[in-house]
Amino acid sequence: MTMKKTLVYGMVFVLLMSLMACGSNNKKSEESSPPATTSVTPSAEPSDSVVEKTGLTGEFEIQYFVGGYGDAWWKEVIAAFQKANPELKIKESAGPKINEQMKPRWIQGTPPDVVYIDGAGSNERQMIDDGQLLDLTEFLKTTTNVDGDKLTDILIAQPTAYEGGKNFTLPLVFGSWGIFYDKAFFQKNGWTAPSNWSEFIETSEKIKASGIPSLIHTGVYPYYINGGLLDSAIVAANGGDGSILTKQANLEAGSFSGDAVKKALGQIVELVDKQLIDKGSVSLNHTDSQAQWLQHKAAFIPNGLWLENEMKKDIPVGFEFGFIPSVAQDAGKNNIVIPYTNTIAIAKDAKNPEAAKAFLEFAFTKANAVRWAELTGALMNIKADLSSSSASGVVKDAMAFFNSDKTTVAPVAVLNADVEKVKQDATVALTIGKINADEWIKRLEDAAAKARK
Amino acid sequence: MSQQTRRNAFIAVFLLPTFLFFCLFALYPIAKGIHISLFDWSGSSKNKHFIGLDNFRELFNDPIIWTAIKNDYFLVVGKVIGIMLLATFFAIAVTRLRAAGSGFYRSIFFIPNIISVVVIGVLWRYVYNPNLGFLNSFLSLFSKEPVQLTWLGTENLAMWSLLWPSIWAGIGFYMILLIAAILSIPAELYEAADLDGASQSKQFWSMTLPLIWGQIKISILHVVMTTLNGSFIIVWIMTEGGPDNSTQVMGSYLYQMGFRQYHMGYAAAIGVLILTVSLITTLILQLLLNRDTTEMA
Repeated sequence: MTMKKTLVYGMVFVLLMSLMACGSNNKKSEESSPPATTSVTPSAEPSDSVVEKTGLTGEFEIQYFVGGYGDAWWKEVIAAFQKANPELKIKESAGPKINEQMKPRWIQGTPPDVVYIDGAGSNERQMIDDGQLLDLTEFLKTTTNVDGDKLTDILIAQPTAYEGGKNFTLPLVFGSWGIFYDKAFFQKNGWTAPSNWSEFIETSEKIKASGIPSLIHTGVYPYYINGGLLDSAIVAANGGDGSILTKQANLEAGSFSGDAVKKALGQIVELVDKQLIDKGSVSLNHTDSQAQWLQHKAAFIPNGLWLENEMKKDIPVGFEFGFIPSVAQDAGKNNIVIPYTNTIAIAKDAKNPEAAKAFLEFAFTKANAVRWAELTGALMNIKADLSSSSASGVVKDAMAFFNSDKTTVAPVAVLNADVEKVKQDATVALTIGKINADEWIKRLEDAAAKARK
Repeated sequence: MSQQTRRNAFIAVFLLPTFLFFCLFALYPIAKGIHISLFDWSGSSKNKHFIGLDNFRELFNDPIIWTAIKNDYFLVVGKVIGIMLLATFFAIAVTRLRAAGSGFYRSIFFIPNIISVVVIGVLWRYVYNPNLGFLNSFLSLFSKEPVQLTWLGTENLAMWSLLWPSIWAGIGFYMILLIAAILSIPAELYEAADLDGASQSKQFWSMTLPLIWGQIKISILHVVMTTLNGSFIIVWIMTEGGPDNSTQVMGSYLYQMGFRQYHMGYAAAIGVLILTVSLITTLILQLLLNRDTTEMA
């Protein structure tokens, strides 16, 4: 064998050995490291996406409530996630009663990996208080979605901060409370949609003179009038500073008794004194009051953005949904949006937290947000262009308010359940003249003090 | 083994399954409820904190529970009076007085008993609707101005408005019980009374009522027990305890605290209170009603 041949054979041998060693190292690396997160390229139709295998393995369970938003979006996204992760064994626990059905699992400490918190029997704050949710603070600081967008950069509402700034949940659905009216009915009667409190009173007086009450509300569920009227009035009276709601959620002493609260309560009392609220409201639940409003038994109703979708089977011909985020502000001041969210979270005792985090990165994309709007008639908590989507007119109107310079979006503030109940009772008592503003304030300050103990 | 021992063993073997079921489905849940009432527990977590009798101390200082107890007794008294008077009247009417179309009325009065209480609640919510409801529309026929009473939203009216559907829904069942009791009275007794010239009124007070008193007593106890334990459904469907807790009953408050406000320990304490109140009320009623029927004759 010549030197030349020896060198060639030697180089080939070394190359082969190097390749084998590289292959061996790769395999070792795969075995020892945790499953990698996805690097899927999403499209507007995730289920048809061309995806690459990501290496997520094991079992992964997701719990989601099926209510007004249906389950089409979930089925589509989960199917795409499964396609992206063929080795992952995905289990869906879903349905309208899923929160009650899964409760024993949460109590026993064997929860699903991911939970969408919505519907009867679910309570985000209680789950946090019970230590059932994973602390997502660090994860959310840096994580990007599968498109490479930093997640917190593309959210409309940022995750609610609990216990000194910790995040346990990620808002999936973004909606807004506000006042709804029928544009066509207003046009027919020559009424103008109000943009501030004095206009609201003026229009309401005209409506009352026409023989119907101005405002109907869901007295059995007073959180509708709290969200749709009182909370925005409090923020407006606080100079548009929504931190007052966060202070209330943090049960700060005096946060229910300041000047802003007094002014807002005074506005409710003004409506009562001028007899602008439908007297029967106090005994109506949401479907009763919404049905009566659709029949023009009253002109305005405080409600949430789900309203049109919820009542779609009962909407009379010619009815044109109009939405105003708030009416309590002074002339020239910003509209106030009181947002609500339905959140998604990872269980603290999740068996596959890596897959759970990967699912959040997979689900929170602009393409999925468009699909959410199209499939549910509501907004996903992602800044996305809906102009060419089939989302409803009222949702697009609301999006226009959210993007306007003349709109202030208040933070999402979740009250302690006991204080929330007292607030609901006190507000409904105020609307029927059973108590005055000072008694409302006393009830809430007492409830907050009790909850602080 | 003596015959007596064999007999006792035989009885024990047959009683054992029933006893086991009673322990499993009655005694154990009661014991568990009492146990939970001693904890601060959300009902949705594995974290429980033993707090002894604190839930009960808080309960007795809670003004809403006193409103709830008052409302429960309002329904108990109202239903006992309303149901027993009307059920007895209709039972007599379709048996002794043989009102025309007796069979038809029996069926009509029994219909509410085959309808779910949830449906009854929803139905009556529509009847009471202040703007679109039947009741205000009907009353408006007799008034110059349209009647716009807020039946379920006015504190003084709300409990009365809840009472009537509860009575309406209960009449048929107790009427059937009383009809069975009346029909079991031998016809010869009434024939003899007729021959003696006793009026229908005299026959009712001196014969029918004493002879069906046992059934009436059981019916009253049943109304009381089912009201204290079951008024929750109709209240929850129609008012959810509102407005401002004015129609809260113990059952609805239990549900509110346990499943809406996540105080399962406190809710269990309310459950123990309901059990205690029911037992005491039943014992007092037993003493009051435990009269020998022959004394009445």
